Amino acid sequence: MSVTEVPPSETEQLEGPPPPRSFTALIRSTEIDTRMLGMMALLVVIWVGFHFMSGGTFLTPRNLWNLSVQFSPVAIMATGMVLIIVSRNIDLSVGSMLGLIGMSMAVVQAEILPTYLGFGHPATWIIVLAFGLVLGALVGMFQGFVVAYAGVPAFIVTLGGLLVWRGVAWSLASGRTVAPMDSTFQLLGGGSRGSLGALGSWIVAGLVSAGIVAYLAYDRRQRRRYGFTLRPRWVVIALGVGGCLAVFGAVWVMNSYYLPENLARQIAEQRGIAWPEAGLQIPLGISYPVLIAMGAMLVMSFIANRRRFGRYVFSIGGNPEAAELGGINTRWTVVKAFMVMGILVAVAAAVTIARLNAATSGLGTLSELYVIAAAVIGGTSLSGGLGTVSGAVLGALVMQSLQSGMVLMRVDAPLQDIVVGIVLVIAVAVDVYYRRRSTR
Amino acid sequence: MKIRKSLLVVAILALVAAACGGEAGTTTTAGDAGTTTTAGDAPDTTAGAGAEDIIVGVSWNNYNEERWARWDEPSIREALEAGGATYISSDAGSSAEQQLTDVENLISQGADVLIILAQDGTAVLPAVQAALEQGVPVIAYDRLIEDPGALYITFDNIGVGRLQAEVIYDMVPSGNYVIIKGDSGDANADFLREGFEQVIGDAVAAGDIEIVGESYTDNWDPALAQTQMEQFLTQANNDVQAVLSENDGMASGVVSALEAQGLAGEVPVSGQDGDLAALNRVALGTQSVSVWKDARELGKAAGEAAIAMARGAAIGDVPGVVQFDSPGGNSMTSILLEPIAITQDNLNLVVDAGWITIEQVCQGVTSLDICG
Repeated sequence: MSVTEVPPSETEQLEGPPPPRSFTALIRSTEIDTRMLGMMALLVVIWVGFHFMSGGTFLTPRNLWNLSVQFSPVAIMATGMVLIIVSRNIDLSVGSMLGLIGMSMAVVQAEILPTYLGFGHPATWIIVLAFGLVLGALVGMFQGFVVAYAGVPAFIVTLGGLLVWRGVAWSLASGRTVAPMDSTFQLLGGGSRGSLGALGSWIVAGLVSAGIVAYLAYDRRQRRRYGFTLRPRWVVIALGVGGCLAVFGAVWVMNSYYLPENLARQIAEQRGIAWPEAGLQIPLGISYPVLIAMGAMLVMSFIANRRRFGRYVFSIGGNPEAAELGGINTRWTVVKAFMVMGILVAVAAAVTIARLNAATSGLGTLSELYVIAAAVIGGTSLSGGLGTVSGAVLGALVMQSLQSGMVLMRVDAPLQDIVVGIVLVIAVAVDVYYRRRSTR
Repeated sequence: MKIRKSLLVVAILALVAAACGGEAGTTTTAGDAGTTTTAGDAPDTTAGAGAEDIIVGVSWNNYNEERWARWDEPSIREALEAGGATYISSDAGSSAEQQLTDVENLISQGADVLIILAQDGTAVLPAVQAALEQGVPVIAYDRLIEDPGALYITFDNIGVGRLQAEVIYDMVPSGNYVIIKGDSGDANADFLREGFEQVIGDAVAAGDIEIVGESYTDNWDPALAQTQMEQFLTQANNDVQAVLSENDGMASGVVSALEAQGLAGEVPVSGQDGDLAALNRVALGTQSVSVWKDARELGKAAGEAAIAMARGAAIGDVPGVVQFDSPGGNSMTSILLEPIAITQDNLNLVVDAGWITIEQVCQGVTSLDICG
């Protein structure tokens, strides 16, 4: 996933460097992003710490399942924010856009569509979602145009957007709470019905694992073909096995969270099943918001690393003048980056209103800060050119873990803000320190 | 290319203007009786201004809440027009600094009385003191301003908390409670909590009630309330018998969290504001009570008090005032209106008042008399 690619050194022999002598050399030979490893270690420390401080509640399937749903909207938006920041721009308007798009989708499905289709029409959710995605793309495109073609700094344009979209969101329903959402649409927000179930989750795990193995094999073959340095065989095998274990482990946790007893009883009653003594254990599996967030991460990583658009964004961030002189249509690329951001905000908005089963005009307030913080904690450099999508998702997970964990410990809101703020600054300070050291 | 560029510049200017105009603009609207007022008429700030000359300035903190524009403003306006006064207003767009400027502007526009919905009851003090020194009476509308010279008009917020807790306490006299409070920067969050304490305090001290989760909620954000409720349920392993949520928005988040555990309708939840969605939840049975403050009563009381004061009534002579000891240690001259607890038994009150239609209340409800 790392973007800072190691330049190919054709002089080296085909079967990789000689066995590493020191630990750092060993890590380097695996080509694993050490930042990423550090973040994962930090996450483990946070999780274990909270587990003990909350009296053994944090590392339960139920809490981890909740956590995964809670972090999804910010994670979805953070994958797009990476591209925006990498291209030396910023988007301060995502929170207000979430409010605008969420409110629009809510009004369409709760007040406009029912007059034509009636309540609970099976097509409602797809019409609403498509509408939201188009609206998101348009809003993003508009902001992108002003940034790229009028030359107004993104900070200013999106600061304007922050005010404007919030105001429009309010006007759409004069501040009312719009509820309830369409019953199919609600599935996008997870909940007891909005999950894959045990079998579906295992199938997803199998597919993802197969994908990891196939990718590693493909990568090795390509390296051999073009004469790049090969990673030692044991490293590749360890990566494959580790990746598959992680995927299956995560799914196992998701599948260990069972449908709450009350809901299970209701289902048993509906289907006329006698309530068993031991209770009915229906695994929930991966919830749809998490599936969407992981999908967004994969697609955005692919776009960032493998598509021309993504590589252009990184070149622009690295050196805008050189990119322009190199024949890249930098303006159009920036517009596209904002469009992608708008679409991802729409997806996050759908998840948020589906989960809350309501839309309010204050929806998404301050979430721009969480999204930017997630991207930055995840290693995206505010000076542009550097950043990874998966890092941003991990950053979002770190932030949400802190918040959810502190609620479990009954830390009150003002103190939570203090802790999150301090962590943000420390994370970036550490990052800057290590970057400076590694370039020296 | 040139043309396209300049078009974009215009678009941006419009965007900025819209942002500023929408958030912090000052608007002047003349009421029927006051259209003759011109800038030449010097504001008569001494007692006994004639009805035709009265100008009442209203400083809103923001319109980002349903009720101000929909209920409060029309009723204030109506009361003022009935008394033959002119209504001028400004919107501070949630900015305490902007509100200071707004208040000064309203005075220089000739306001005889000010009605202030404070963004921050402390930050606005300098402007309030300046107004009082110039002989312009000030009405603190719905939110406390810690100056004993101002007339405080509000619903009894401690009473709101008390009403919420009474309904819930009647249903659940003992068990585990979760308390979802509003924004920690809003004094109302603590007033409401005080009202809770008056009802359940003894039971908590006696150990009948245990509070298994209590937290402030930034911006009264429903989505955040949902997350907190999920965490409290996780921590208590669903062993929660009642939820005291301070308003309806957060109650929607709480109910969604309960629904995910199949507990909606089994665990009583409180709220306030009479949100349409919340009243529907009351009818559905997933929320037990929404304390309703008829904002029109508040607007009417403020409008009438403003006219009385503009005609020279001293603050203590305004009809219906009582003394209220504020958290800041001031004895405030206040008008405290009584809120109503709306439950399934008296939903007809909100329908009869025209606050909500039968269809809105009864969406998805079959088992209630009122929904026939």
